[in-house]
Amino acid sequence: MDRREFLKLFSMTVAGFALFGCRDGLFGTPVKRDAAPNLADFENEVRLALSKMKPGMELVRVPMPAAHKIPGASSENRFGMAIDLDACDACGKCVLACIQENNIPLSGPELVARGQFMHWIELFGGAPAMCFHCGDAPCEKVCPTGAANHTPDGISAMMYKRCTGSRFCGANCPIGARKFNFEDPVASGRSHKFNASVPVREKGVMEKCSLCLQRLQDSRQGFKALHPSESWRGRGVTTACAAACPKNAIIFGNWLDDDSPLVKAAKDRVLYAPKAIASLDPSIVYMRGRR
Amino acid sequence: MIFRILLYAGLALLLPGLVALGYSLWEGPAAWTTDVRTFWGVPISLFVFWIGIAHAGTLISAILLALGVKLDRRTSLLAELTTLCALVVAAVFPLMHLGVVENFYMVIPFADARGSFANVRSPLVWDFCCIAVYALLSLVFFGIHLFSERFQALEDLRRPMAWLLFPLVLWVHTIVSLDFATTFVPQWQGAFFPLYFIAGAIYSGLAMVNVLLVAEGCRVRLLEKLMMAFSFLMLLFWGWIFAVKGEWNFSVFAFGALLPQLWWISSVRESPVGRLAISISVLFGLWLERYYLVSPTNPEAFGWIDVGLLAFSIGLFTTLLVVLRIKLRKPIEGGELLFGELDEKPVPVVEPHTEPLTSREFIVLRFPLLVGVLVALVYTLWAVSRPALDTVSVLLPNVAPLFYPIVALVAALVLCARPFWKIATDDALLMNSKAKSLARRLSVVFPFVVLAFLAGMFYAGGSSTPSKYSTSSDISHFVESDSVAVPDSLHARAIWNARCSSCHGTDGKFNEKFIREFYPVPQKLTAERFDSLGEDSLVHVIMNGRTNMNPYGDRITEPEARALVRYMRSLAESNEPADISASEKNESAPEIDEPVSETNESAEVAP
Repeated sequence: MDRREFLKLFSMTVAGFALFGCRDGLFGTPVKRDAAPNLADFENEVRLALSKMKPGMELVRVPMPAAHKIPGASSENRFGMAIDLDACDACGKCVLACIQENNIPLSGPELVARGQFMHWIELFGGAPAMCFHCGDAPCEKVCPTGAANHTPDGISAMMYKRCTGSRFCGANCPIGARKFNFEDPVASGRSHKFNASVPVREKGVMEKCSLCLQRLQDSRQGFKALHPSESWRGRGVTTACAAACPKNAIIFGNWLDDDSPLVKAAKDRVLYAPKAIASLDPSIVYMRGRR
Repeated sequence: MIFRILLYAGLALLLPGLVALGYSLWEGPAAWTTDVRTFWGVPISLFVFWIGIAHAGTLISAILLALGVKLDRRTSLLAELTTLCALVVAAVFPLMHLGVVENFYMVIPFADARGSFANVRSPLVWDFCCIAVYALLSLVFFGIHLFSERFQALEDLRRPMAWLLFPLVLWVHTIVSLDFATTFVPQWQGAFFPLYFIAGAIYSGLAMVNVLLVAEGCRVRLLEKLMMAFSFLMLLFWGWIFAVKGEWNFSVFAFGALLPQLWWISSVRESPVGRLAISISVLFGLWLERYYLVSPTNPEAFGWIDVGLLAFSIGLFTTLLVVLRIKLRKPIEGGELLFGELDEKPVPVVEPHTEPLTSREFIVLRFPLLVGVLVALVYTLWAVSRPALDTVSVLLPNVAPLFYPIVALVAALVLCARPFWKIATDDALLMNSKAKSLARRLSVVFPFVVLAFLAGMFYAGGSSTPSKYSTSSDISHFVESDSVAVPDSLHARAIWNARCSSCHGTDGKFNEKFIREFYPVPQKLTAERFDSLGEDSLVHVIMNGRTNMNPYGDRITEPEARALVRYMRSLAESNEPADISASEKNESAPEIDEPVSETNESAEVAP
């Protein structure tokens, strides 16, 4: 065998082995793709998640969120939420509303077996928790590409197209609010596009609570088209979870706007945040008891 | 003979490993086991393991050379070859670990069309840059060593290069440890991590070189003694972790520290099998240590793909090393150099003591170092004061990790420039004309490549105005229709700035980078082109997409798309040079701005 023949044979073998690996279900039958799920499937999954609820987080008192100190931050807007733990009865309607608003796919058996769900809102000991949109967000610091970034309005946002899936942000989130798309939600038949204005995320990117960024953007565009020179404060916008709460326990608003329902509700309440992120300037806080 | 056996063994591991690699690439991170808490798994542990070995090879060779410890040529060349092969293996794993592998280039700090820049605050970006510099300089160091026999100029370069590489290796591995030490994961925290990682890297590197020395059929007692010393150092670190965090892993302790103590038994250390077993036990123990570090919460879930990836890394390393070793047989074994012989030609004047500032290395190095420090300072000042990154506060600690790698890179380039130029131009030194012309061509092309890369780093290109600079006054109103169905120009402008301007630019001119990133190249929009294409077809493109353009049908309404087309036309008009006769434009404009009847059906104006 001369060198040319050997090289040809060798490279063909290498390519063959590598290509053999590129198959669905390496040695078994290919994974079956189900039909697109319907609302009942998602309702069942929320029920399952409620039955596997994680233990409660330790809460500490925090002051009311103030304007961001990061460069480029708006001095007029900092969106956030307050969750009234005295009113919340852990019904899980916010989780389902979030799924429908943001087209969150079903979690899949592998993830559920490990006690994990794709849901952006999860209940920890009866308290709903999502990404807290920290002002000093640890996830944004470690993202290599800048896909996890902060908008001037105080939202910890995700640029899905810029995400390369290093999952460093997920490792660095103290409360594990970030969810990774291990499977392609569309190809695996786990997603249902309830809301046309939110794209379904692709395989290999991180996702998490966006504070219903699309609703804020629509409001901003509409407002700016009519009042180009006035400043937009996000009045009248609410998130899907806040709108769905039957007890009105989740209140969305602008921390820097005194007319916002958020500031009105949180003014005379004691505010708490999970201990793990209390020092990171969270935009979402818990309310409990009156001052 | 031994190499042939090793080659077959390597291939036997590599080929099944390739199946695991291919499946992992196809299936994504779901293929292998990932930790619930950290999302990381075997690929990152393999990366840390192999990058440790990559650092140790040069470290052993360069530090011993710099400190004046004599090591024979074959051993040090072997150590440097280990570095290069381990770097190749280590580079595979962070890449395949990614969820979207084709987006890996976004980690490179290189400004792109949309003005997005890698996040220089992230340890992963520091990692990438530092390891890239390290790989380049290791390659240069190895090349210099390989050809130092033939050219005295290169021989003189070795010690100064060793002095440059010595701190670089420590620096780069410190940065690798910061991947872990800067995070919030409790198991990854600790100010001692840099030292811990460097000690682990040297320990595993020594074990790897000892394995290879067994294959070469010889032993270097110095390296064996060093390995034993490091086994106690690692034990110290593990004890410290136990004292601070209460974590203790018996299998890591057994393989990494307990089994190597068999070295004290003379019959074990005198037999090659005994030495091989001890070194492999150390390597396995250290890999286990990295695996438990990366996956702290569920290390017992270890699947077939994980085993396959492990086999792939060992197979690739062995195959690469053996093939290179066989190819480089002549320069490595050539001449009369044998084991145990001194590596360097004797230094002409051996002084018992030289002041550091008058030593030969310092005199050679001082000018390149000065240039390197200056370049690094300029870079740091530029990065800290960079106004373009105005949503991210870049502080000194965020850019400081790149300081020494830049110094080392620039200093090494300056240091090597003259000797390389001399060799390339000196007719007496190069034998055949082919090599000469190649060397000359390289010396012209290389500076151009460097300059182009630097230009790309600092200049994002493009003529587009960022949206914050455009004011409402410079856009003419263009909708004169009385129909409420078509949203007005301000609304269209708001949509344009929110949805389109990231690619098309706020002013409608694509920037140059955009054109370079996409194929086919988008057409420049002119008023004539608008008129020839017609409004309906452009609305269709906006709603349904075309080649590189995303469909927007589910996000904006058709009247909005129609308003966008008109807005684009007004942008195209304002971008046209003034010498086109104004009358021509005025004639065509009203025709286009007439309201189209279809839009009245489903009239829906966003509030």
